[in-house]
This record gives sequence, C-alpha cells and structure tokens, in this order.
Amino acid sequence: MGRYWRIFREFFRACFVEELEYRSEFLSNLLSSFFGIGIAILTVKIFFYQTDQLGGWTYADVLVLLGVFNTLRGLIDFALRPNMPRLLEHIRKGTLDYILTKPVDSMFYVSFRHLMFWRLIDVLLGLGVIGYGLVQQHYMPSLLDVAMFVISIGSSFVLIYALWMMLMTTSFWVIRIDDLSFIFDSFFETARFPSGMYRGWLRIILTYVLPAAVITNMPALSLLGRWNVVTTAVSVGIAGFFLWLSHRFWRFALRSYTSASS
Amino acid sequence: MIAVKHLHKSFRVHVRQARWIDAVRHLWRRQYRTVEAVKDISFTIETGEIVGFLGPNGAGKTTTMKMLAGLLYPTSGEITVGGFVPFEQKPEFKKMMSLVMGQKSQLIWDIPPMETFLVNKAIYDIDDRTFRRTLEELVELLELQPLLTKPTRSLSLGQRMRCELAAALLHRPAILFLDEPTIGLDVHTQEKVRRFIAEYNREYQTTILLTSHYMGDVTALCDRVMIINHGMLIYDGELSVLTETLAPYKRLEIHFPIVPSVPWDDYGEVVAMEDGKVTLRVPRDKVAEVSAHVLQHFHVHDLTIQDPPMEEVITRAFQEGLHGS
Repeated sequence: MGRYWRIFREFFRACFVEELEYRSEFLSNLLSSFFGIGIAILTVKIFFYQTDQLGGWTYADVLVLLGVFNTLRGLIDFALRPNMPRLLEHIRKGTLDYILTKPVDSMFYVSFRHLMFWRLIDVLLGLGVIGYGLVQQHYMPSLLDVAMFVISIGSSFVLIYALWMMLMTTSFWVIRIDDLSFIFDSFFETARFPSGMYRGWLRIILTYVLPAAVITNMPALSLLGRWNVVTTAVSVGIAGFFLWLSHRFWRFALRSYTSASS
Repeated sequence: MIAVKHLHKSFRVHVRQARWIDAVRHLWRRQYRTVEAVKDISFTIETGEIVGFLGPNGAGKTTTMKMLAGLLYPTSGEITVGGFVPFEQKPEFKKMMSLVMGQKSQLIWDIPPMETFLVNKAIYDIDDRTFRRTLEELVELLELQPLLTKPTRSLSLGQRMRCELAAALLHRPAILFLDEPTIGLDVHTQEKVRRFIAEYNREYQTTILLTSHYMGDVTALCDRVMIINHGMLIYDGELSVLTETLAPYKRLEIHFPIVPSVPWDDYGEVVAMEDGKVTLRVPRDKVAEVSAHVLQHFHVHDLTIQDPPMEEVITRAFQEGLHGS
C-alpha cells in the first residue's frame, strides 16, 4: 500500500511538472470553478424563493448536498476524468503495452497516471459550500458525523470509480472512436439534488438501480448528523464488491487485448 | 531463460468490405475471420544470448515477442520466461524484464526524460543509491547528459531512442525485448545503438531478443537467428550456418587497371562488369582456386572476398523455405 502511495505521489509530481510546462490556464480555471458553484447556489436559492422545503430538505441542507456534489465531482475530475477516456486511446493505439510491462497493477496505473491537480479547487470550493451550509443550519457536526461522512463519500467515490471502470473496460471488445464518459456524466448529474425530490419510478431507479442520488445524499446526511450505521455499512460493502468485480473484469478483459501491432 | 513450447496465437478480426453499403450492413451483422498469427512455435533461449528474430512484416515476430513479455494471452502452448508464466503478470516477472519498441514511446512527451526516469524509479521501487549509480552509468554509455533536461518532444528520434533505452534499463532487467529498436534512425545512430546493446549484453549478461528489419542489426549483434514467416518458425540456428547453407557463394570483387577481355563466365557468375572492376559470384569451395588463378594470370590492383549481403540470404530463405537447421 505504501508503495502505491509513493507511486501515486510520483504521478502527481510528474503531472504537476507537465502542467507547469504549459503554465495551464490556472486563473481561468479558478474563475470558471467559482462561477460554476456560484450559479449552482443561485439556482438553489431560486427554488427556495418558492418553497422552504425540497423533498424534505431545507435550504441549508441542500447547500450541504451541493457542497458534497461539488467535492465529489472535484475528486472525479481530479483523478478519474483525465484517465478513463484515455483507456480507449491506450487500447486503440496499443500504448497499453508499456503499462502492462510495469510491475504495478495495470488497473491502478491506467486509472491514476494522469491527474488534473487544479481540479482540486473544486474540492476546496465544495468543502467551503459544505461549511457555509452547516453555518446556515447552525449545526456543528460531531467527530462521528465527520467520520461517517468521510466513509460514505469514500465509498461513493469507489463505487463511481468501479462502475466507470467497468464501462470503459468494455472497450477491449468494442473499440469505439468516441468515449462513453457522457453516459456517466448524465447519470452523475442526477446526484445534484435530494433523492426525495424525484417521484415514482424515477425515484426507484435513482435509488436502487443507478444510485446516483444515494451517492451524494448519504454523505450529506451523515454530515448533518442523520447517518445510519446499517446503510453506511451496506454502501461500503457494495463499493468494495464493485471494486473487486471491476478488477476481476479488467483482468478478464486483458485476455482480449490485441495490442495494435507496430 | 526462455522456453516456448507449441505456441499458438489466433486473432478474430472482422471482415469489412470497402463499399459503403457493406459498411452499413456491417453495423448489425459482423463477419469474423480467424487469423492465425503464430502457429506452433517452439524454442529455448539461454541466459546471456542475443537472438535475432527475423521475418517480413506481419510474420508474427512482434506477436510472439508480446506473448513472451506477457502482453498478449496465448491461444495455446506454453511459455516460461525466467521461471515465470508471462501472462500471469507477476510483479517479480515484470521487474526482471523490459521492453523497448521502436514505434511506441514510454517517455512522457511534454516533459524532460528525467521525469520519466523518476516515475520509473518509483514504479520499480529502486532505492536512491542504486538509481543514481545506474543512471550515471547509462547517461555515460548513451551520452545522455545534455538531453536529460530537455522536453522529450524537442528531442530527435535518435536522441529519444537512447532515452527509451535508458528508461527501460534503469531497473537492470535480466531479459530485454527489443522490437525494432533502430527503426527510422540514421546509420550513425543505428551504429551507436548497436554498439551500446552489444556492450550492455557483454557487461551484464542480459538475455536479449531482438526483432529488426535491418540486417545490420542482426549481423552486428546476433550469433543466432530465428526466422519466422507466416507464423511459423522456419529457421533457428547460427547466422553463419544460415549464410553457408543458403548462400554457398562468395562475392569476388576484382579491380584492374584495364579489365582483361577473357570469358569471365568460366570463373563464376558475373554480377557486374564496370570500368576497371569485375564482380563475380563464386561457389565457396572454388573461391581459393579462382582468386589464386586471377592473381597469377592478370595484373590486379585489388581483390576482395565478401559474404553475400544478408538481405539476399534472407530473401532466399523465404522463397525456398527452410526446415530446421
């Protein structure tokens, strides 16, 4: 584990140097992140001009939820988004070859080799909004609340990773030109709102089939002190199971790798 | 070090016609065809050997090499490399081997090669002291000093290949797979790369398997060659034996002040007749006799005896087919 952490830090360092090489538009990214979260808060505010509750959530609750959504999205954009579409490229052009000769788990390598470190701004902004929401709510989370929050947002991240990874792994058989990330995006977008907002079959789907809503709702509720040990444990279990499954699937898919010939 | 038994690899490729109507039909009905890239190949390679892998494009060289490196899953057959089954992809196996491909790069494009070296240091878990020592040595052997801090994208092909070699050797692999390492390089750089490979092999007893299109690589580096064509191993043995059996001729180049007008066909097959120079193809067992005769009877400036060019030998091997050695 310690070794993987060292490798991850090395990836981070190399990406940092790479970004500096182009002096990436740090400022414009910062601005667009601020602007994005500003608009999101405004939208929530507009909803609450009409009502004081949204699916059982108050304004401050929804702010916390929005913060969680932003944090999670920041993490995804930092570590997953730069890598997942690349997998296709690796398979199509055969650059997976070098990755497979390295003595590290190849799934780990393809998942975390490229990092967009400035996306961590979104994580910070998200945490800021969470803080702001908590102040509005006049709720001071206990250490246990925070621990539950960390556990549930962690398992949300792992679950998203595993699902996305499995989706991308199918490219070993179906080598497409475009990537499948947009499927993931539209699915994740539903996680912006309280699941209680959705009605009928949509709610059932978003809770049990594609648990996008649950992915952000649980961490937010944990932080607000409304956690539940059983559901948290279940979510950790599910995330662990899917992570294992995605790894098995990856290993299986490697057998079908044909390595674009040179 | 390397043992391969009855190795097969087949790919399923879909058949696609050029007409657009076929392309549309192709959307819902795909036709597949099985291509056997490697058919029943067996061989062993000892520690410290440099073996050349020859064959035309699409013969199955690279596919075989990729199976040996654990990248491709063999359809059937057995492979052990350094005591490991490659496709199991054990970290211990990967730490003892390395792959360099002339057509694909492992260097990070936008930043200097040193950064790639550092990433590899972490990946291969090399401690600081060993890393520094190995790097120093490679930098000297490959003359990398001025290149280390330049962005990879600004390096020439030759410079990049030297850096690729360094990146691949940092962890001191016992087995090195080189897939066309000199492709596209100029003659001078090719020579440099060859000299490095030969030196490195001598120094560390690294087992090297090399594929190349350039006969120069093979004649300079390998004592043993394997020729593969249509997925089958058609020759495995010493390079010199190959030359003797396939090309039982030598080239005789004779320089004269004025070419005497005699029936040269009596001496051997005339390859070329120029101003002041005659090139003959003479059977090996008659070379001594013919050259002695020429030297005795004519006024000769210079006389050289050469092996026929490798290209000629190999082409012949493909045309005539060979079995065993």
